[in-house]
Amino acid sequence: MEFSMKRFLRRDVIIPVVLLASITILLKLTYDTVDDTETFYALTGWLLEATLQSATPLILAALGGMFSEKSGVVNIGLEGMMLIGAFAAVAATYFFYDPWIGLIVAVLAGGALAVVHAIISVKMKGNHIVSGTGIILFAAGFTTLMLEVIWNRKGMSEQVAALPKVSMPFLRDIPIIGVAFDNLSPIVYFTFVLVIVSWYVMYRTPFGLRLRAAGEDPSTLDAAGVSVEKYRFVGVVISGLLAGLGGAYLSIGRELPAFGKQMTAGRGFIALAALIFGNWSPLGVLIAGLFFGFLDTLRFFVGFVPAWEWVQGYSQFLQMMPFVLVVLALAGIRKSVPPKAIAVPYEKEVKA
Amino acid sequence: MSENRLQDTREPSNETQTSLLSRIQADVEQIRIKLVNIAEEAPRPIKPIIVAVAKLLTWTFWKPVIWAIFSVILAVITSAVIMELSGYNSSEAFIALITGALRQFDRVLFFSTPLIFTGLSVAFVFKSGLFNIGAEGQLYMGSMAAAILGYIIPLPYGVHPLVCLATGVLAGALWGFLPGLLKAYRGAHEVVTTMMLTYTAILFTQWLAAGPLKEPGEFQWNAQTARILETAELPTIWGNYLHAGFLVAIVCVIVVAFILNRTVMGYEMRAVGLNEAAAETAGINPKKNMALSLAIGGGLAGLAGASEVQGNLHRFYNLWSPGLGFDGITVAVLGSNNPFGCLLAAIFFGFLRAGGNAMHQQAHVPIEMVGVMQGLVVLFVAAPRLVQWMADQSLDYGKWFSVEKARPILFIFNMAIVLYGACFSFSLLGETQLGLAFIGISAAVSILSIAAFFLLFARNWRGIIVSLIVSMCWFALAVIGMGAGADTGFIFLVGLVQAVLSGLSLLLVKGVGQSKGGGA
Repeated sequence: MEFSMKRFLRRDVIIPVVLLASITILLKLTYDTVDDTETFYALTGWLLEATLQSATPLILAALGGMFSEKSGVVNIGLEGMMLIGAFAAVAATYFFYDPWIGLIVAVLAGGALAVVHAIISVKMKGNHIVSGTGIILFAAGFTTLMLEVIWNRKGMSEQVAALPKVSMPFLRDIPIIGVAFDNLSPIVYFTFVLVIVSWYVMYRTPFGLRLRAAGEDPSTLDAAGVSVEKYRFVGVVISGLLAGLGGAYLSIGRELPAFGKQMTAGRGFIALAALIFGNWSPLGVLIAGLFFGFLDTLRFFVGFVPAWEWVQGYSQFLQMMPFVLVVLALAGIRKSVPPKAIAVPYEKEVKA
Repeated sequence: MSENRLQDTREPSNETQTSLLSRIQADVEQIRIKLVNIAEEAPRPIKPIIVAVAKLLTWTFWKPVIWAIFSVILAVITSAVIMELSGYNSSEAFIALITGALRQFDRVLFFSTPLIFTGLSVAFVFKSGLFNIGAEGQLYMGSMAAAILGYIIPLPYGVHPLVCLATGVLAGALWGFLPGLLKAYRGAHEVVTTMMLTYTAILFTQWLAAGPLKEPGEFQWNAQTARILETAELPTIWGNYLHAGFLVAIVCVIVVAFILNRTVMGYEMRAVGLNEAAAETAGINPKKNMALSLAIGGGLAGLAGASEVQGNLHRFYNLWSPGLGFDGITVAVLGSNNPFGCLLAAIFFGFLRAGGNAMHQQAHVPIEMVGVMQGLVVLFVAAPRLVQWMADQSLDYGKWFSVEKARPILFIFNMAIVLYGACFSFSLLGETQLGLAFIGISAAVSILSIAAFFLLFARNWRGIIVSLIVSMCWFALAVIGMGAGADTGFIFLVGLVQAVLSGLSLLLVKGVGQSKGGGA
């Protein structure tokens, strides 16, 4: 895979341009309406911080989805894996009083649910989408059940300790937007690291090559003497680990460290949208995730500017944007190429 | 893998066993052929009955049925384990569930009504090779359309409900037709587009209910539209709940079965679903059929929403559906995409829902247990080979047992203790005061125990090794627990029993294996 500037421009330039343009226009409009530099700076900082915060779980889950889908297994169970991650994080923190243990348990819990998905869809050659639906239903039921078993409450768990926030030494000194980096969870920064690591693993290591081959052309991989099942299994499990991490960020990484019933609220599906919109590539996922996070933030942002309060009546349309954009993207505005052998169980040829 | 198997597959007893099975199958097949022969000569009124009976005798009919029943049993067992581990009385819960549901059968049918529609929707689309996971969105669109028409224009009794249902169907069909068109002419994958359009529909109806169509008046906790007129309501037909929507659902089952099996359109759709390229070669337009089938599927889901609004809710509430569209997938999967199968599966899930309330009241098990059970059913149904594999392993165990006695019995005892150990270690996970090491080893023990169980079940001797390791872990747990001041005699006992059992099996397996090897 040679890095080609041309290809990069053609494929991945549209979202960043739209993103930057819309942010610039928004900030200009804000500046005009607010008419007060101090408030404007505060709003800008808040916008960046909130965008990073709401983009993080999306990027993590979408990265996970990428590992699974690149290996040829559809994973619509991301929502369920995030949910179980969010729950496990709070439960483990509740019992051990240490959010870091909660984080590890959350990642493992997401991975465990992914193992179930992998056994069904890879080993047993079941239907990926049916299995994913089962994962979502199971996770939704199980977490709500356990919420009642552990805390004897409906709807919301007790508050637990949150992950410590970090203040980035150099970033926080940046003039206007520096406020944003003063009080963020370390998972946010870790997400960016993970994006780079995933890119490296996916395109610069033999493991990544084989993983992609399992999704593009499994019979060739098999002919090369590599087990397709093994790589698909690992891909799905990685997706569960990352989705579990995203779920943990949702519950113990933010202001209110508690588990709420159905707290992922469709974020797993938005992550799937980001994955498709980002064209199944780590950088694309990052940009799409940031964009969708930005859209999610926007509907709260308009509430802070008095002149724009009327927009809140239409906030549903802002929330709709990721979904509509993906449908438009798939309808052919932007070419999206899924892995070729996706959702097709690979059957090794039986010896005659 | 095969060299690790303990049983030689060329034992003479195998042949009698397999031939017995195949003999039964052959006998049944002969009866079926005879029946078909009789049917040809039979007088007209009896003929379809005989043909139907002959169909019932085929393996292709029984396989999905057995598979579904087996999955349900496995799901029930698993959820019983989950209930016991979370401290509920599972037998009491299941008895409450069953008696509660039987006592209020009208509620069972009431809960199953929307599921029949959405299940049919998913199943119908699946027959043409597509996956409609967006039934939820189509349902919201349908319910919104029906709710709007229900209160805006006054129409006479009799006409109004039908008009509302028809608009619901139309709205759902349009919402399904869009991804159908995108799939047919732009190649956009329908799984993604229907899912995305689901959330679009939910948000769009939310906006309608909270904005332009909001019921005027006092503050509403959840946005809602005005109540539909009395003329638009579907009448209640049985008990306090069951409304005429159920009858519509039954009609839909029959109509869908008829369309699929008796019309040119259904034939074309099935052909496209089985092999798109072949269908196109045969002169069938796959694009038209794909778009049409998604539209019809969307219409069925829209009907679910419309009938719920007219028969039950009487207005549109924001986010009223508890995932009925997604449950449609589970219904279609359990009913193996057969319209009548969907009917039975929907009634089964309705049974769980209705019984879930009773379970909650009598056994105090949270109602979410029903959701867990539903998810488990789907997971088990999704893995047809799991059931197949378990059946094969059990059969092989039977054969092994008929050849020799000592080793299989030891294996079974070992499996029992390992399974018990898995459950026991899960329950130990709650003892958080004993420290992190204790919990960590318990978690490891539970995972290893499950692995050992499956290895033993597959008659793989490595299972014994894993079981030995697990018994060592039990001793470690006992020591750690004692260090923390807990009474760990029982844990020690479990470890001891397991160590003795697995040690004995290992000795026997290795010893016999060597002597056999020496003899050969």
